[in-house]
Amino acid sequence: MRRIILVIAAACLLLFAAVPVWAAKTELIFSWSSNAGPLNPHLYSPSQMYAQAMLYEPLVHYGDDGSAVPWLAERWEISADGKAYTFYLRPGVVFSDGTPFDAKAVKMNVDAVLANAGRHTWLDMINQIESCEIVDAMTVRLNLKNAYYPMLQELALIRPLRFLSPSAFPEDGDTSKGIIAPIGTGPWVHTDFRKGEYDVFVRNERYWGPKPALEKITVKVLPDPESRVIALETGLIDLIYGAGGHAAGQIGLEAFTRLARQGRLPTGVSGPLSTRLLAVNSGRGPTSELAVRQAIQHAVNKDLLVEAIFLGVEKRADFLFAPSMPYCDLGLAPFAFDRAKAEQLLDDAGWALDPGKSVRVKDGQELVVDFCFTGNDALQKAIAEALQGELAKVGLRLNLIGEESDSFLRRQKDGEFGMIFNDTWGAPYEPHAMVGSMRAPSHADYQAQAGLPMKNELDEMIGRVLLTTDEEQRQELYLEILTTLHEQAVYLPLTYMTSVRAHNPKLRGVEFTPMRQYIPFERMYWAK
Amino acid sequence: MLRYIARRIGILIPILFLVSVLVFLMLRLAKGDPAMAYLRLSNIPPTADALEEATRMLGLDLPLWEQYLRWAGRALRGDFGLSWVTGQPVLGEILYYLPATLKLTGMSLLLTLVFSIPLGVLAALRRDGWADHLTRAFAFMGVSMPSFWFAYILIFIFSVTLNLLPPMGMGGFAHIIMPATSLALMSTAINIRFLRANMLENMHARSVLYARARGLSERRVIWGHVFRNSLVPVVTSIGMHLGELIGGAVVVEMVFAWPGVGRYAVMAIFNRDFPILQCFLLVMTAIFVLCNLLVDILYAWIDPRIRLQGDRT
Repeated sequence: MRRIILVIAAACLLLFAAVPVWAAKTELIFSWSSNAGPLNPHLYSPSQMYAQAMLYEPLVHYGDDGSAVPWLAERWEISADGKAYTFYLRPGVVFSDGTPFDAKAVKMNVDAVLANAGRHTWLDMINQIESCEIVDAMTVRLNLKNAYYPMLQELALIRPLRFLSPSAFPEDGDTSKGIIAPIGTGPWVHTDFRKGEYDVFVRNERYWGPKPALEKITVKVLPDPESRVIALETGLIDLIYGAGGHAAGQIGLEAFTRLARQGRLPTGVSGPLSTRLLAVNSGRGPTSELAVRQAIQHAVNKDLLVEAIFLGVEKRADFLFAPSMPYCDLGLAPFAFDRAKAEQLLDDAGWALDPGKSVRVKDGQELVVDFCFTGNDALQKAIAEALQGELAKVGLRLNLIGEESDSFLRRQKDGEFGMIFNDTWGAPYEPHAMVGSMRAPSHADYQAQAGLPMKNELDEMIGRVLLTTDEEQRQELYLEILTTLHEQAVYLPLTYMTSVRAHNPKLRGVEFTPMRQYIPFERMYWAK
Repeated sequence: MLRYIARRIGILIPILFLVSVLVFLMLRLAKGDPAMAYLRLSNIPPTADALEEATRMLGLDLPLWEQYLRWAGRALRGDFGLSWVTGQPVLGEILYYLPATLKLTGMSLLLTLVFSIPLGVLAALRRDGWADHLTRAFAFMGVSMPSFWFAYILIFIFSVTLNLLPPMGMGGFAHIIMPATSLALMSTAINIRFLRANMLENMHARSVLYARARGLSERRVIWGHVFRNSLVPVVTSIGMHLGELIGGAVVVEMVFAWPGVGRYAVMAIFNRDFPILQCFLLVMTAIFVLCNLLVDILYAWIDPRIRLQGDRT
């Protein structure tokens, strides 16, 4: 018996001989929750946006300041009526298989996307493109149905209008059914993958721009954020980059702040990328009163939320869109945290708090608001409970309704809520696409605004702002739209969402960009 | 014996049918909206048009029984549909990930046997001695500690602190040690106590008394009589452990980024990818039932005292 135990013990010791392998200095090891997917530039899930952005490039990029930056198009002209966009293509660009990038390739791609327009109805740009014509070998023109100013911003999107090599098109040109191979003009080439294990990208040696310093990027499939942190700490991966703190995030907020506190690995938090907010329903229940909505704005101590729930990783938000977004630096006065003022507003509106009671009453109706969130989203639940506590202090009871995510989305769409989570979409959608969608009844925004007396005027202004070609008029219209929404208090902004990074101390050039899903691997390099 | 096996395999069919109906209904009756899930996963804002399009595309506008019949009809021909997330055939995906899971559970089963049998015997032989107390403490811990927690402790010690073992992924032999150990923990703990109890019971059996009376050596009494007879129920319990291991693999694979079917199923649950879940549950039921059938056959074969009803004609 003793001998058996000894043999087992010896065997165990032998097994521990393995040592983890550290990355070679031209390779970066990253991780993602799933494989990169088929990487068809004209389609969506299961292709991962970070990977599509590595392979495919747009005509126009979204600059760090929100402006349009020449990319595969060297320059462009917009006709006076705003309906024709002429793009002069960058000479000398080839796809990673050597096929030249020219007007013909652009037209093939645009036509393929338009042929599958039903799949892209969510994106107004695609609805607006009437045709694509070849002007000469290196010049193309996009003809629009209407003047549509956000055209350039939306061309920067990672999908669906980036460019696949004509050699990778299926015979009938219909990419919606699949492509032959993921071949783009971008700085990286997808060379290998193993389902459930990894994807490999290598540098595109034919790339037209500055060559990336890294030669190879291996992306391991790690769905669990906790495991990802361990992988980084043990050197199995070099980089964590992306959204922090919720189910789909790269890393939990607690784990991230622990890494930041320990200081062993470099960490960083991006600027505001989008807004985490609650839509407050102006068409249903007590929140149909402006005074109640305003009282809610004053009653919530957002700094406390930022500190206790977001651990300082996300910053306090006072407006629907961060002032750093185009047209959004309006100089509005934020609703300050002021519990006395909130109480005053409710008192004045006739919501009385009887002695010994905890909930205000008006005409026999209690001040109760349905607060809807995704039940298994720990972060939303924590926020819900914190707000419940905050609002109880002014005599407003939040009735928490935590549901499975698809029922939650259904509520957003149908307007069955008092308050509901409704994050903004981030660049390049802000403000135009998000504002545009406020006219669609299937959005929580529309539902939340439905009770406003000036809803029709709002929708009419939104229609105008998207079509005007006059820059000054556009800014003025945005000022009016966003000021109205702010004053009507149909949104309770909580925080500006951020991306986070944590990485190997020798990795340099890890930068944030305004577009959340775009990870600029080509700027990263290893310190000597 | 053959008739017994045939009958047991025959029972498999109604079991799978019942499971398929249950699985299908449970997923459909759960509150939620697959069309919405589909749009969310595709990053498409859920406009009314998009929702309608998705509903029609996924066949969700049909009555429930028709949805079931269409699905079951195709499933009988081996076509479990396409994953809503990857667009790949579901059965192919599951079979792709299955070997990794079988490797992990197989290794765990091996570990369970390798550790639980000697420790169980030791505990019985040294009853109320230090070895018995130690294994008892180990067994209590093993049964009460969730496998993912144990997994994180292992990772913390052997990967983060000592840097001896790779914390995750599939690769060489070193990669499987921690996942298999954390998965085997509970079965090992249960098996130790089970074997110990059997041994103690058998030590008082009349056959053992008789063996001693025949003047057999203590070694032969223990190994030839007590131990062999105590192993029989252990064989049966392996069938139960298999279920435990397959179920536990779902969690352990997640922690160790083990590219198996359990992790695949967890992702499908998060995504509410119905076709995958339906196929996964059916395949796992089939594997579980087949393994138990094998164990029962083995059991009948080892223990001549067991006479099977189907055998006597």
